[in-house]
Amino acid sequence: MNKQRNKQYKARINQALATPKLQDALHRFGDAYVVSREKAFAGLDFEALRKEIARIKDEVRANHQHYLDEFTRNAEAAGAKVFLARTAEEANTYVADLARARGVKLAVKSKSMASEEIHLNRALAEAGVKALETDLGEWIIQLAGQRPSHMVMPAIHMFRDEVAELFSKVTGRTEAEDIDHLVRVAREQLRQGYLDAGMGISGANIAVAETGGIALVTNEGNARLATTLPKIHVALVGIEKLVPTLEDAATVVRVLPKNATGQLLTSYVTWIRGAVPCGDTDKELHIVLLDNGRSALAESPHCRDALRCIKCGACANVCPVYQTVGGHVFGHIYISAIGIILTAFFHGLDNAAELVRACIGCRACVAVCPADIDLENIILSLRETIGQEEGIGLGKSIVFRKVMRNRKLFHSLIRAASLLQKPVTGGGRTIRHLPLFFSSLTEWRTLPAVAEKPLRDAWNSVPQKLEKPRYKVALFGGCANDFLYPELGLDVIKVMNKLNVEVSYPQKQNCCGVPALYSGDKETAVALAEQNVAAMLEGNPDFVITTCPTCTLALKRDFVEFLHDNPVWAEKAEHLASITVDAAGFIVNQLGAAEEFKGLADPEKVTYHDSCHLKRGAGVWKEPRQLLVTSGRELVEMEHADRCCGFGGSYSLTSHPDISRRILGDKVADIEKSGATCVAMDCPGCMLQLRGGLEKKGAKVRAMHTIQLLAETID
Amino acid sequence: MPVPAQIERFVNAAGQVGAHVQTFADPSAAAAYIAAHAGGTCLPPLGASLDRLGFAAALQQSGAALAPGIDRANAAGAAAAVTGANFALAATGTVVLESTAEMVRLATTLPERHFVLLDPAKILADDLAAVPHLREFHRRQPRNYLAYITGPSRTADIERVLTIGVHGPRELHILLLAGLSADCLEL
Repeated sequence: MNKQRNKQYKARINQALATPKLQDALHRFGDAYVVSREKAFAGLDFEALRKEIARIKDEVRANHQHYLDEFTRNAEAAGAKVFLARTAEEANTYVADLARARGVKLAVKSKSMASEEIHLNRALAEAGVKALETDLGEWIIQLAGQRPSHMVMPAIHMFRDEVAELFSKVTGRTEAEDIDHLVRVAREQLRQGYLDAGMGISGANIAVAETGGIALVTNEGNARLATTLPKIHVALVGIEKLVPTLEDAATVVRVLPKNATGQLLTSYVTWIRGAVPCGDTDKELHIVLLDNGRSALAESPHCRDALRCIKCGACANVCPVYQTVGGHVFGHIYISAIGIILTAFFHGLDNAAELVRACIGCRACVAVCPADIDLENIILSLRETIGQEEGIGLGKSIVFRKVMRNRKLFHSLIRAASLLQKPVTGGGRTIRHLPLFFSSLTEWRTLPAVAEKPLRDAWNSVPQKLEKPRYKVALFGGCANDFLYPELGLDVIKVMNKLNVEVSYPQKQNCCGVPALYSGDKETAVALAEQNVAAMLEGNPDFVITTCPTCTLALKRDFVEFLHDNPVWAEKAEHLASITVDAAGFIVNQLGAAEEFKGLADPEKVTYHDSCHLKRGAGVWKEPRQLLVTSGRELVEMEHADRCCGFGGSYSLTSHPDISRRILGDKVADIEKSGATCVAMDCPGCMLQLRGGLEKKGAKVRAMHTIQLLAETID
Repeated sequence: MPVPAQIERFVNAAGQVGAHVQTFADPSAAAAYIAAHAGGTCLPPLGASLDRLGFAAALQQSGAALAPGIDRANAAGAAAAVTGANFALAATGTVVLESTAEMVRLATTLPERHFVLLDPAKILADDLAAVPHLREFHRRQPRNYLAYITGPSRTADIERVLTIGVHGPRELHILLLAGLSADCLEL
């Protein structure tokens, strides 16, 4: 870890956290976005569309030389000059040399993230060319000397009073803090620029190999002016923008505005092919195709899906971390989840190292990505790379490599902790205050104490007397269920026995490995996967049930991926994945037994919190609600039910407790607003976080696992 | 011919994004509407369908002030542009203008108002239905500039508040006039 870099990063976080106005704006934007996006996609099959975009982009990646050649040939046949820039420097030099050679003093620009990526304005300035941003948001941040904080809405972090102040400096008048007025000022101020400029610079949303043309998807109309009025047009186009055909281009146009801003279509889609007429001659069109790390990205089997990105910015819109700290913290030049990945390849691993750890892993971005990119998975893979390059920190390294992989040592240390914590727990079940330098961890939530007797030791205290059990299943408890909430595991026995299902607790099961994986130590995660596959299959259970959706994801997804080319383990891992199911889903889908609880519960008002990995990992959200309602609870939905609680394991304990705290604050507010006296969930991690937050706030709302609420209905 | 439902879908979608859509029985009524809403000098009408109709004369008869021609200087100073449309897309309320001739681009980007005359027979279903026509444009004219226009120019760059007319036209009027043209390749 680079201490200096980490210190600067922490300072940026603190600064952002001290700007509640920004957080408020980004939260409101996120809420409005979800509504308008859903409306825009009404009647369309989003899943099919995003699979189609993934197919188109994968096809281009796999055959990119072919499509590059086809595009270049067609563009040149239509009078364009095409230059393939391998690096940012090559692209900058080409454009700056061109401007110098043609005597250009002023270039008008429409919005282009690729130009931000390569710092084109700086290169032009060094060549004596003034670059004038004409997109309203870009112009605002150019005047402010900043960089975009969102890929689609670059000035989303700024407010009308700040804009008025910037514009007043330009006009020399005092401009009113009125948005309509400020937009008029921009129109008037920028208009002459198009007429005076010798060069117009644009990006492109799409490059069509079939025609050699480009497409620009815009709202303001500045791209139409910048590509029409000046004599020279330079289009700076990342090579990942290529699509084979006009049909493919139409698919991107169909999806991009809907997913970016919730518009059916932007005001303008501009298709430009070749050197079109300009005044009494033809336009000079230069297309600069930018590689700058994209070919390297295409070669990375774990990360290459990121090249599918169509730059809609949705991964920022829905991201709880982005909403909490904004794009100047959670981004380098490219922002948010996709920004982390692109930064690593375009701007170097060093610039991505802190951001890679800033992702809380909630998969909200994965759910809305229009190119079907598993952003979380790619970020995890980068975390592993950085873990290898920089190390994961000595403390973590010892815990994961020396302790966790040795189950007996790991578990005896946890048992020891249960004794050592006595001075702070006073023998109770929660830790309200921690001494000295740990104290900040319990400032905003209580923490559960390590149980005196873990689940594995308490298991046999509950006799199971089923004559002819319908199924024999094994419980994968996971560390939290085992050592923090053993009573939850005992409730699993109670509930399953009622349904005539016998449950065992394989003693050799160990941590699922996710904490190691999330910290960048894949080697430990793989070792744990082998241990757990062996342990869970030992008794040949009909099913393996889980109470923690993060563990579920490990058993169902990660183990298979880790072990797929290992002849000893691959088939076993596949088998384990195929029989693993979360407890609520098991009761509803495998047993069809929801009715067994009909009307047994107190009619308490319960709200349901969707755990990230249950809803967006396992696709389970209806089942627990069905169980709660059928059993007789009054279900009241909170707002943002599927927004992350901010836990994220070590994210909330060590790496980003301050961000975790804010996200928890949002969730607690939503829970309280619902009017429920109980919040149900299906994840011990969420329970830790929500119980801790509610308790610290003194809220009279209990946080319970769905299985516990079912167990309450049994005598 | 598109079914009436297709026309209705177009009118609704265009209206949703702030375009003014109105149906006219004859060219002189359309010309009168433009004369009443232009707010100043009109650039001469653009498009083969409007030439055939003698729409410039109709505008003059309605009392519209027409600029003598279209170039950078007078387009920037004009209040309004009048054009035909190649076709339209019902799903999004979009008009499509083949804008390779620079005059079309000057007229549709610089003035504050844009009046588009569209034959409802040329309303296609959606963006995918447009692709064969795009391909035909490319075949006929290897260098081209095609514009999808959906409502007036807009921005939400200050506090995400939707604001109309940042760089392009502040008003988009779509005048539906049957019998104008059935050819998607002509403006």
